[in-house]
Amino acid sequence: MNQIKKTVKLLRRSPYQALAAALAMSLTFFVSSIFIILIIGGQIVLNYIEQRPEVIVFFNDEANQTEIDDLTANVRSTGLTKEIKFVSKEEALAIYRERNKDDPLLLESVTADFLPRSIDISVNRAADIKQITDLTQASEHVDKVITPENLVEQLVKWTKTIRLGGLVFVSTLLSVSFLIIIMVIGMRIAIRREEVSIMSLVGATKWYIARPFFIEGALYGILGASISVLLIYVLLLFYSPQIQNFLGDIRVFPINPLFFLYLWAAEALAAALVGIIGAAIALYRYLKIR
Amino acid sequence: MLEFIAVSKQFPDGQVALDDINLKIEGSDFVFITGPSGAGKSTLLRLITKELVSTSGQVLFNEDDIAKIPENKLHILRRRIGTVFQDFKLLLSRTVFENVALSLEVLKKSDSEIEKEVSEALEKVGILEKADYFPAQLSGGEVQRTAIARAIVSKPEVLLADEPTGDLDPKTAEQVVELLEKINKEGTTILMATHNAAIVNKFKKRVVHLKKGKIEKDQKEGKYEPD
Repeated sequence: MNQIKKTVKLLRRSPYQALAAALAMSLTFFVSSIFIILIIGGQIVLNYIEQRPEVIVFFNDEANQTEIDDLTANVRSTGLTKEIKFVSKEEALAIYRERNKDDPLLLESVTADFLPRSIDISVNRAADIKQITDLTQASEHVDKVITPENLVEQLVKWTKTIRLGGLVFVSTLLSVSFLIIIMVIGMRIAIRREEVSIMSLVGATKWYIARPFFIEGALYGILGASISVLLIYVLLLFYSPQIQNFLGDIRVFPINPLFFLYLWAAEALAAALVGIIGAAIALYRYLKIR
Repeated sequence: MLEFIAVSKQFPDGQVALDDINLKIEGSDFVFITGPSGAGKSTLLRLITKELVSTSGQVLFNEDDIAKIPENKLHILRRRIGTVFQDFKLLLSRTVFENVALSLEVLKKSDSEIEKEVSEALEKVGILEKADYFPAQLSGGEVQRTAIARAIVSKPEVLLADEPTGDLDPKTAEQVVELLEKINKEGTTILMATHNAAIVNKFKKRVVHLKKGKIEKDQKEGKYEPD
């Protein structure tokens, strides 16, 4: 505790270097936080879609009710479905009207005859979607089959891209942070060269001399990570209505406060490690004790 | 306590600072190391703290070869030796108290122990009332007393003083050596490098005179007559 107090006192004596180092760390971990949230968010959306495996089968107008019922029975007999719901032309119109209630122009021109009959099939497992799709598409009475498979593929592709981009971007920023920490602590060592030499001559161990620099590196990291998480928290709080609006039925808000605590703990730990390793490199490079 | 056996020191540029030094110093001795500038006085002291390592020969401290002390054990040696530097080496941003406390901080003493022992050391050197002053606010003599307090606060077995009276007026210089004599009487071995003849001749201690890196004279109650 005493050492931390002493380190803080030293930081206050040259606040601009300390600020530069902490801000570099903040930027790195702020960007990291954004990528982490994008990846977690992408996963939530993916899970939401995968947990609602639905296939919508639209029939052409030539299909009669018996043929629709036969296909429905056929699908049910696979044992892969959870629920199958028939949607008549009238029900389709009701759904259409509900979705477009704010646009009278669209409502005026559409009648039940324009809309196809369909069955909504809930599948037990996402993996079974393909089998159901193949089965229904084979029927001559089916006009179109909509599945979430394409959407999932698209999302997985996006998530992978975000992960890769994030990795490259964060690695670059991390390297810059490392260099700034090495530079700032190297300057500190240069400023305190005389003190270091006196301490060595009065019997200080190398660890005793090096420890404040390690604490300093760790403090930059923890401070940077804290600023970053605070910023992310405020931004998410501020933009949560817009984000929720964009995501529609996928509920992500309110975010559990524990998430921010875990994010802070993980980032503070990672940032402290970056600071300590940076300090170690600076000490190895610049601290020559005789 | 301290023994130099055939010690020579040559710097990388070829300059010979010490040449075949044989010297034995017993516990509680007070020894003046005299000689003109460049005679090797400071080099001799720096071999004892292992700031420098001899080119040949051995420097023994309590029969341990100093050159063989590994880097990670060097602090143990240095805690047993106090040093007063020619240029004082006080930290200008720290008060007198904080400068002296540095020697105890590295020993990981508690705040209360540091408070007590620093106050005792400052009282011994006569500047307790200046504890909260910064070095820039002190006179030359007071700065040197601060440096001595820092060197003795951890109660070392040996005190090395490299030209401690160099920048002081004769009266203050005398007071500083009287202080060192007092510390010596309490049992600390003292090696003082100096070229101040008046001081050496007044205090009548053992004098080891160096010239061009060699011991020219070693007298029990010696005198120093500059060339």
